[in-house]
Amino acid sequence: MSNVINASHLTLAYDNGAKEIIKDASFSIKKGEFVFITGPSGSGKSTLLKALYGQIKPTEGNLVVGGLDLATARQSKLQELRTHMGIIFQDYKLVNEWTVAKNVVLPLMIAGYSVDVQNTQAHRLLKHVKLAEHADKFPLELSGGEQQRVGVARALAKNPVVILADEPTGNLDDYSSNVIWDLMENACQQLETTVLVVTHKIPTIFSLPYRHLIIESKGVYEVH
Amino acid sequence: MKFIKNHLMFILPLMAILLGIEFYLVFDRTTDSYEKGLKEGYSMLVVTKKPMELSAFKTLNMHISTSEKIKRENIVSEIAKGVSQSSSKEILSSLPYFYNVGLDAYLHTSGLEKIKKDLEANKNIKKVETFGSSYSSAYRLFSFIKFTLKLFIVFMGVVSLFLIIKQMEIWKYAHKQRMQVMEIFGAPLMLRSGVLFKVAIVDAFIATILTSVIFLYVKFQWAANSGIDIMMQNQEELFKLSDIAILLGSALLIVIIAVYSVVFTSKGVQE
Repeated sequence: MSNVINASHLTLAYDNGAKEIIKDASFSIKKGEFVFITGPSGSGKSTLLKALYGQIKPTEGNLVVGGLDLATARQSKLQELRTHMGIIFQDYKLVNEWTVAKNVVLPLMIAGYSVDVQNTQAHRLLKHVKLAEHADKFPLELSGGEQQRVGVARALAKNPVVILADEPTGNLDDYSSNVIWDLMENACQQLETTVLVVTHKIPTIFSLPYRHLIIESKGVYEVH
Repeated sequence: MKFIKNHLMFILPLMAILLGIEFYLVFDRTTDSYEKGLKEGYSMLVVTKKPMELSAFKTLNMHISTSEKIKRENIVSEIAKGVSQSSSKEILSSLPYFYNVGLDAYLHTSGLEKIKKDLEANKNIKKVETFGSSYSSAYRLFSFIKFTLKLFIVFMGVVSLFLIIKQMEIWKYAHKQRMQVMEIFGAPLMLRSGVLFKVAIVDAFIATILTSVIFLYVKFQWAANSGIDIMMQNQEELFKLSDIAILLGSALLIVIIAVYSVVFTSKGVQE
């Protein structure tokens, strides 16, 4: 299978290169893979994720996502790439003044789908994450677990090529966490979506031998 | 209530800036016409040995635009009352020639001195009277009024600008979360700033309409019935149709700058 993500001698740094977070890392991730990235706090997990959706540029080396070299890509290309990604955050990043349904269809709205299509998809996606009855509510009216399910539904809205999840269950109880993991696992298995999860600890729910990368001492290593 | 308050917080400072711009336009037009009146009402007296044509005056200084010969007979008739006709003729023949010389602009007193110097350099010219002191006091008063009004307009503009910057901070706070989330999912700049643009453009139109209405009222109601000469004489200058375009253009320019500033400072994912 082809690689969706390819990092070669990748260095990520802040403060104009003065503060190196990741140095000379090389790894690749294939289409349809489910990969965990773990590491201690401050090791650079979230920084790597930010680099993957183009929020920060590589200082050195190459980082190619979906065929696009993020080190040299123009802003318009980065925007286009993001429309093929589903991103899930620990703090959900929902728009509080929008209804749950509108939050879910944000990727479709950006892609220019008609309102009819958006409504149909909102209903389907919310049913999928078992929140159909909450469509007209606002995010702050929901519990943390429910908000994160809205975040997952939004990430799945456009059948993305890649799902990037940054500590998606960090604020949730075990029951809500398991629901979220199930949804992401299903997306990976049924839609062949590449799922990359940044977490400080792999949940015990995962019985299958998923791939595991660890960030330590600025390097990214495979855990066998 | 909150909705109206949010709009008013941008509309009012924007209106203050537009009022400043309109005040400037009106003031510029009315002072132009006042200046024209002063200029037309002013002339210097030039005494020559021989008759002189306007073209000859113009060659001496380019600011000279008119010359009117004062009839010497009138002067003689005033000063030679009760004098015999032959004596009167003698006086007339010995009298020099008098001209009221007009200028093309309302000049500073140093400009008047320069004209005087240029004229007096000509051997045919005996004397030049500029009436400098009365001219100078009128000019200084006029300049002072012009300066204070412009200062007031600038001050009003600066204060309003600070209020707009304050409103931009509020916009940033209110719209940042939505714009950042949209940016993460790849929304182009126009889409993520669309809501803010709509709000701001509506406010720009409202501010323009309200400012225009105020000046239309001043023009057709207040000025017409004010009984103040300068207002009634310059009623046409108070508000022109083209001012609406200038006000709207200015309001839209302010809106575009303000919205883009908010959009660009809201970029990036908030931690």
